[in-house]
Amino acid sequence: MRARRGVLLGALAASCVLALCAAAALPTDSLYQLRATLTTQKGTVAGFDIYQGHPTVISMFYGNCPSYCPMLITAVQVYEAHLDEASRARLRVLLVSFDAAHDTPQRLTELSGMHRADPERWTFASAREPDARRIAQLLGFHYRKLPDGSFDHTQAITLVDGQGRVLASTTKLIGDAAFQTKLQASTAAGAP
Amino acid sequence: MPAQLYLAGVVLLSAGAAAAADNPFLPVAAAEFRSALPLGAQDKVVAVPGFMLQRHPVTNAEFLAFVTTHPQWQRGSVPATLADADYLSHWSGPLDPGPRAAAAQPVTRVSWFAAEAYCEAQQARLPSWYEWELAAAASATRRDARADAAWRQQVLDWYARPNGDTLPAVEQGIADVYGLYDLHGLVWEWVHDFDSLLPADANPERFCGSGAQNLQQKENYPVLMRIALLGSLRAADTGHGVGFRCARDAEARP
Repeated sequence: MRARRGVLLGALAASCVLALCAAAALPTDSLYQLRATLTTQKGTVAGFDIYQGHPTVISMFYGNCPSYCPMLITAVQVYEAHLDEASRARLRVLLVSFDAAHDTPQRLTELSGMHRADPERWTFASAREPDARRIAQLLGFHYRKLPDGSFDHTQAITLVDGQGRVLASTTKLIGDAAFQTKLQASTAAGAP
Repeated sequence: MPAQLYLAGVVLLSAGAAAAADNPFLPVAAAEFRSALPLGAQDKVVAVPGFMLQRHPVTNAEFLAFVTTHPQWQRGSVPATLADADYLSHWSGPLDPGPRAAAAQPVTRVSWFAAEAYCEAQQARLPSWYEWELAAAASATRRDARADAAWRQQVLDWYARPNGDTLPAVEQGIADVYGLYDLHGLVWEWVHDFDSLLPADANPERFCGSGAQNLQQKENYPVLMRIALLGSLRAADTGHGVGFRCARDAEARP
């Protein structure tokens, strides 16, 4: 227990140092102002700002989710399929599981493979408490664990610019034209 | 004259040191607990493991000590993402609570993110809703006083009493059976999972209608009011009546 706490504190300290460095340059309304730690499908520890510098679609899920979460992943793929290839190459996708106990790097890799997600541009990650709930708060995403171990949650897909500012968000899995327009604009050549 | 300065210095120093020591974490034993929250059909009782809770809501003096050592949480420095524009707006300055925020009053106008960061800096965390609700069910003599009509009325009276312009200081009332103060009648308190008290499909604005039908213990108004209020907040909000206190796992006792 003590050893684990030590490792956790060490990880926290490291991420704080990184976040402080980044914070100086970040806008005040950037989501990347939050210091949070993710574990990616590669098993590496990363900051929530892993895709800083790129327009990025961010959402949350959990791997054991029977229907909504696979639909969410497909929905993001449909949104990005409407982009031309060059724009799509500029987009990044970050999907954060709030069920870190089950969504191990191995499980995340399986999910990524199952959905044929491009590992160069898509990251499946998990966050532990309290970071998972902090990220959810930023995204306006609500979840609660039910006694049977499943989760009850809202849905939200958020688009941020390279600096982590929210450009658009949608609760529609399909056909949110305003969201699609923002996605198009933010990934266009020369977009800020 | 130098002696007076020296004395003033000692008083200030001891006030700072006392701020942390005077808000100890007190044990709340594990319990099988009937929550007012809507649960699954079969789950009438939640098992809350033992934990430690701070004796009173975090005060302005205690929060001042935190922002002094964590400048990123000073008013004017905190990112808009993590606290709205009203953050600590009643303080005279970023490091000066001033006359509208007395040392022993609970700190308010702090966002959930700020409360999380404060507790983390104390090697602690915000309590979960169940933890808070369990602690708040206690009277001075029993762990679960919710069936006691006289106690319930007393709590309701606290809620009905207007606070006026200034919040009272902490620990002016009676300690509960755990030795905890002010769980009712002083401020609303952030909990870690404040946003997930109602089912995902329950719209907080319609809470008084359909959402409330799933709630248990409909006579438990003070707690239902908490649930409604917390459910209406966003994590960067800084309400003028919203404060917090921290918790620790029971086994993490230093």
